[in-house]
Amino acid sequence: MTLRPFRIALVLITSLIPLALLAILVFLGRYSWPAITFNGWHFLWGHTWNLGNLYADPIMQRGQLAPIGANYGILVFIVGTLLTSAIALLIAIPVSLGVAIFLAEGLGSNLKIILSFVVELLAAVPSVVYGLWGYAVLTPLVARVIGPGLRSTLGFLPFFSGPIGSGYGLLAASIVLALMVVPIIAATVRDALSQVPPEMKEAAYALGATHFEVVRRAMLPTVRGNIIGACILGLGRALGETMAVLMVSGGALNYFPSNIYSPITTMASFIVSQLDSAMQDPTGMAVRSLAEIALILFIIAVITNVIARLLTGTSRNVSSV
Amino acid sequence: MFKKKSEHAVRSFATASVLLAAVAGSAGITPAFAGTINIMETGSTLLYPLFNLWVPAYTRAHPRVRINTEGTGSGTGISEAISGVAQIGASDAYMSNTQVKQNPNILNIPLAISAQTVNYNIPGLNTVHLKLNGPVLAGIYDGHIRYWNAPAISRLNPGVRLPHHRITPIHRTDGSGDTFIFSQYLSFSTPYWNSHVAYGTTISWPAVPGGLGALGNPGMVQAAAQTPYSIAYIGVSFTKEVQRAHLGTALLENRAGRFLLPTKATVEDAANQLVNKTPVNERISLVFAPGAESYPIINYEYAIVNDHQASMATANALRKFLMWAVSLQGGNSRSFLRQVRFIALPARISALSRKQIAKIR
Repeated sequence: MTLRPFRIALVLITSLIPLALLAILVFLGRYSWPAITFNGWHFLWGHTWNLGNLYADPIMQRGQLAPIGANYGILVFIVGTLLTSAIALLIAIPVSLGVAIFLAEGLGSNLKIILSFVVELLAAVPSVVYGLWGYAVLTPLVARVIGPGLRSTLGFLPFFSGPIGSGYGLLAASIVLALMVVPIIAATVRDALSQVPPEMKEAAYALGATHFEVVRRAMLPTVRGNIIGACILGLGRALGETMAVLMVSGGALNYFPSNIYSPITTMASFIVSQLDSAMQDPTGMAVRSLAEIALILFIIAVITNVIARLLTGTSRNVSSV
Repeated sequence: MFKKKSEHAVRSFATASVLLAAVAGSAGITPAFAGTINIMETGSTLLYPLFNLWVPAYTRAHPRVRINTEGTGSGTGISEAISGVAQIGASDAYMSNTQVKQNPNILNIPLAISAQTVNYNIPGLNTVHLKLNGPVLAGIYDGHIRYWNAPAISRLNPGVRLPHHRITPIHRTDGSGDTFIFSQYLSFSTPYWNSHVAYGTTISWPAVPGGLGALGNPGMVQAAAQTPYSIAYIGVSFTKEVQRAHLGTALLENRAGRFLLPTKATVEDAANQLVNKTPVNERISLVFAPGAESYPIINYEYAIVNDHQASMATANALRKFLMWAVSLQGGNSRSFLRQVRFIALPARISALSRKQIAKIR
């Protein structure tokens, strides 16, 4: 009987999370509704973003008051967002698995504690710090060393050939994102690996497995669910990252990347860089279209999460063993 | 009906971001003790260095006034002056007719005159002042002119050995008064640009493969310095940084067909051409002025101010500060303006500004 209020309180607190999610969705939907009706499906397929002439009088177009020439298409930013995140994960996953295995299995206990702490600390570094480093150190490095190196080794692939440009762009953004994602994945996977039941490892050793085989055959399959979960976490961070990407992406507008060195823009960083100008639009259509980008970003994040869940199927997490 | 609603919603969205900024900012503000008046200035990053010169000098003489300055961008300056979070919104661009109609209480008060340079990074040619004009810059920024040795550029620069290298045009990604006056120069000089791209604090830059976006004037300098064969437009208060990065500065063609650098004389000449055309509300572009010696890209730097302040005391303090700012003995004196390479307001404009400042209640 005394448990009852406790139970009710728990239900209320727990339901706050899905409610907050729902509230965000409802707010974004309602707020951007005029933009949704104004833009239609063209919003997703168009690749020209034009606030229109903010200094001329706005006119009624498609049932909404909007500046003359206003045209909002975000395909370039969707492509930029997905490409940077995908390349960042391609770089980050092997590195962070290596780091996690090394931390869990390759070290004595003292060093292990210290280094694990350092990795977790890296996950807590504010993104703008990564951005600043990328801006000051990485972009010149991409222009002078990494870019030319990649082109001379992988230049036979179309996406790696062509002009390298200034260093700002897809490659720099992906590397910065990868650096931000590695500690997240590594820390999560290391945690899972250290929780693999010792009986399991001992059994594998008893069958004559080497240390490497124990890790590969016994431990990694056990934490498969955790690895995918960690990658989803990392992907979430990469998709939504704003400041760091804004500082190194080169802010491409209205064109698609021609190779891995091209400038790009992601949806999140575009919202930040455009808000100031959008507020000059007296009809408010620009700000509402930015809100529509936020809505699409939200939907993309949900879709990628669902796909990742489906891919993992019903795989178990080590914590539920 | 819809207009009202949208305006309200935009404002609430703006207020939300403004609230965040206020919360973040308030950490540094000690609680106002009796008699202290707080004035908040936010907006243009081009005006920001000037306010940082003005405020310490002014508050030393007026210890009961506290003025906080922030460089956030002209768009933010305008919207925060409208929402009332900031008492002074700094902007390189004047408000549009529609914005003024929606906010009849907001004044656009010129404080000084600024200019803009077009800079390039062509290895070996940065000590040469290349001649450029509006149509050529429009061609570079819309992708029609792709190489430095294109006929259109060579024709303007006989005798200069231009390299056969792709041009990387750099533009601002953030909303900017610099973009506003640069795109005005292109619009006023090139009909094609005017009808296809037009001008604004952000414009829909035509797709030029390799074209780069940079954040703020410091970002423009860094991107240009780091990218050989690039071109950029940069506010004149960043001339020191431009020189340190060894970028070239272009001679720009004015309406009379002369190619000029921004000097005190050419900027003043351009301003004087439009003094008599400046209306009482002072919203006018100074770009591409007539006159043989007029530098083509100059502008008024504005304080965006609500003429109905929350309290009498704030209004009085604000009025006094702005009067000081536009006076030749105060903020418009050579000792302040020289440091940011701005030019003082001509006497008639200064009088118009004072008349507007006097309306603040």
